[in-house]
Amino acid sequence: MPSVLLTDSISVELGAQEPWPADVKLFQQYEVEQILLPDNANCLAVQAFLKMSRLNFTLDMRGNAEHMSPSGRVPFIKAGAFVVAELDPIVAFVANKGVSLTEGLDTTQKADMRAYMSLVSNVLANAELYISWIDQITYDEVTKSRYGSVYPWPINRILTHQKRNQIIRRLRVLGWKQKTLEEVYSEVEHCCSALSERLDNNDFFFGNRPTELDALVFGHLFTLLTTPLPDNRLATIVRSFANLVKLCQIIEKDFFERNNGGSSNGNGEGDYDKLEDLNQVPQEM
Amino acid sequence: MGTVHAKSPEKDENEGAKMDLQALKARVQRVHVDGLGRTKDDIVINTVRDVFTARDFQSVIIKIHEARTRLSKLGCFKDVGVFIDTYNGPDALNEGIEVTFEVREINFVGAKVNTAVGNNEAQFSTGGMLRNIFGRAEELSCEYTHGTKKTTSFYTTFFKPFHNEASTNLTTSIYQQASEAPWSGYRELDRGVLLSLSFNSAPNVQQKLILDGVWRHLTTLSRTTAFAVREQAGHSLKSALRHELHVDKRDDLVFPSDGVAFTLKNELAGLGGDIGFIKNELDMQVNVPLPKDIVLQGALLAGHLLPLRNNKTYVITDRFMLGGPMNVRGFEMAGIGPHSDGCSLGAEMFWAAALHAYVPLPLLSRGGTFSDKFRLHAFINTGNIGEFVLTDNYKQNLQTLLRDMRLSYGAGLAMSLGGFARVELNYCIPLLLQRGDRPNQGLQFGVAANFL
Repeated sequence: MPSVLLTDSISVELGAQEPWPADVKLFQQYEVEQILLPDNANCLAVQAFLKMSRLNFTLDMRGNAEHMSPSGRVPFIKAGAFVVAELDPIVAFVANKGVSLTEGLDTTQKADMRAYMSLVSNVLANAELYISWIDQITYDEVTKSRYGSVYPWPINRILTHQKRNQIIRRLRVLGWKQKTLEEVYSEVEHCCSALSERLDNNDFFFGNRPTELDALVFGHLFTLLTTPLPDNRLATIVRSFANLVKLCQIIEKDFFERNNGGSSNGNGEGDYDKLEDLNQVPQEM
Repeated sequence: MGTVHAKSPEKDENEGAKMDLQALKARVQRVHVDGLGRTKDDIVINTVRDVFTARDFQSVIIKIHEARTRLSKLGCFKDVGVFIDTYNGPDALNEGIEVTFEVREINFVGAKVNTAVGNNEAQFSTGGMLRNIFGRAEELSCEYTHGTKKTTSFYTTFFKPFHNEASTNLTTSIYQQASEAPWSGYRELDRGVLLSLSFNSAPNVQQKLILDGVWRHLTTLSRTTAFAVREQAGHSLKSALRHELHVDKRDDLVFPSDGVAFTLKNELAGLGGDIGFIKNELDMQVNVPLPKDIVLQGALLAGHLLPLRNNKTYVITDRFMLGGPMNVRGFEMAGIGPHSDGCSLGAEMFWAAALHAYVPLPLLSRGGTFSDKFRLHAFINTGNIGEFVLTDNYKQNLQTLLRDMRLSYGAGLAMSLGGFARVELNYCIPLLLQRGDRPNQGLQFGVAANFL
């Protein structure tokens, strides 16, 4: 969820004067053993956005990234003296440096983009939270051990429990706690079909250049496609929309593989499962 | 009746009233303790048993007095009264005496409420206790504190005295404690379990063995908190074994005029959890009385932290901070040493020393309870903090420790607060300082129970 605080705007205002610093760092949890589905999606979205904006950054993984973040959520970037968390404030921060992916868009398109972005954050993000924390099998087999992996006993148990209660409270307020797993899957399917319709046969959602919507969609869908879960229904649903999978492949190829070539892109490197491997992912069902 | 004593009594009559108490044979044959309810017999019997050993009247009185003092110190009774009578039982001796201790037990349930202001926040605390639970002065107490900054602290403590020669006490507690370190830009919430065994190994020498398991949650205070502090935010678990040695031969806690005090603390953290270090701390104070009620006081503090590198870490709250109105005066709180964006980061090693000269307030009669609470003092404070690398070469070590040291001097008024804490208003002049320090030249006000 975007949370633009007053202090965010002030730091954004103040930071506007300076150019993009050379030593920007993006902080997130350990990718291999710790990070969870929802956090991974958000981190990947921000990485994609920064790479699309051709802004340099290095990826810094910390076990306590969540607690270091000023908003309590990952990812966050440290640019000079400024610490900015989550996609929307980061987009605003970058825009104040004169870098924007939406310059060519008119007002209607921008409003359209915002609407789709909030659709993605409302549906896909909540579905990821639901799968990770409420679905008992995923919670027991994946979430519990991964979330507690950086803490010693017994606080690993306590903190995981606390976090689960916090997520459950939030999803209850948003009306997601009451849903069944099937309802969640159908929400995801609806969301994907809406996105798929909007995308049609284009390379990107708006014209031939990516926007932050593409970054956000990539973050979520790529994570859903590549994260092994006890029940891979989510990946199956996403895979049934060929144009969305193609979008992920294009963004991965254009922005995440080229960095090895030493281009102007950031050198943030993660252990991404390549989408080419997708065909080897067991396709049950 | 008054007229009888209106005239001074005859002199020889007065002499006749004097008796040699030591020559007067007396023997305690029976001791009653009235008013016992919950208190167990065995600790009372052990306390008064001594009076049977007396063989003359004077030692009987002395032993009874001692027994009475011990009884009231047990922690089971509100007050203790003594009645002495001749013993009239069937086996009565000529000099037989019967002693009755009339005790009133303390209430089983107690409660307290108080408010306090300090550390930039007002706090309200309330608590209750169950006393003398199992009849041997055990106490279970709970205290809950709520502060204006939404900090919540509580303590649940069980205290068990063993009533032996070494005054051994066992304390266990479960606690939650919230605190803020605005000088470093973080807030800390501790939740822990504590097990402490204290005993006196000699008069004025107290030792404590403490097992402490604490879950600590550090959060940044604001957006402007330095990144060096921000990256330490989060949860950590420390389990530590600590040994403390306290030697206190001073004649007063706040304004001693003579005597030495010495505290040595050694802590090994890393028995479990993710925090590991060995920490040694020393606190020493020497007081020398001079003529005209002047007291010269020298004090030395030092600390050393050795990180354990085997998968364990340590965070800012484990590090040493130096400077402050009751520490190295003339600097702001934790205002000496490494800083980042205005936040004090602390270091792994420090030392600080002080030389004070105290005089009573002039123009006030000496010995009054009012003037006893105040002193004028002049002081020189010095200290240094950093990640010093020490070797086997003492001369070189001394050079390392003295390089870039801080020094300040000043004078002011000090007041004793409740006999254990101290309030000071000083004019301070920092003389030696380093880049990054936050000096405080001019008037400085401080309150503390521990001071340099």
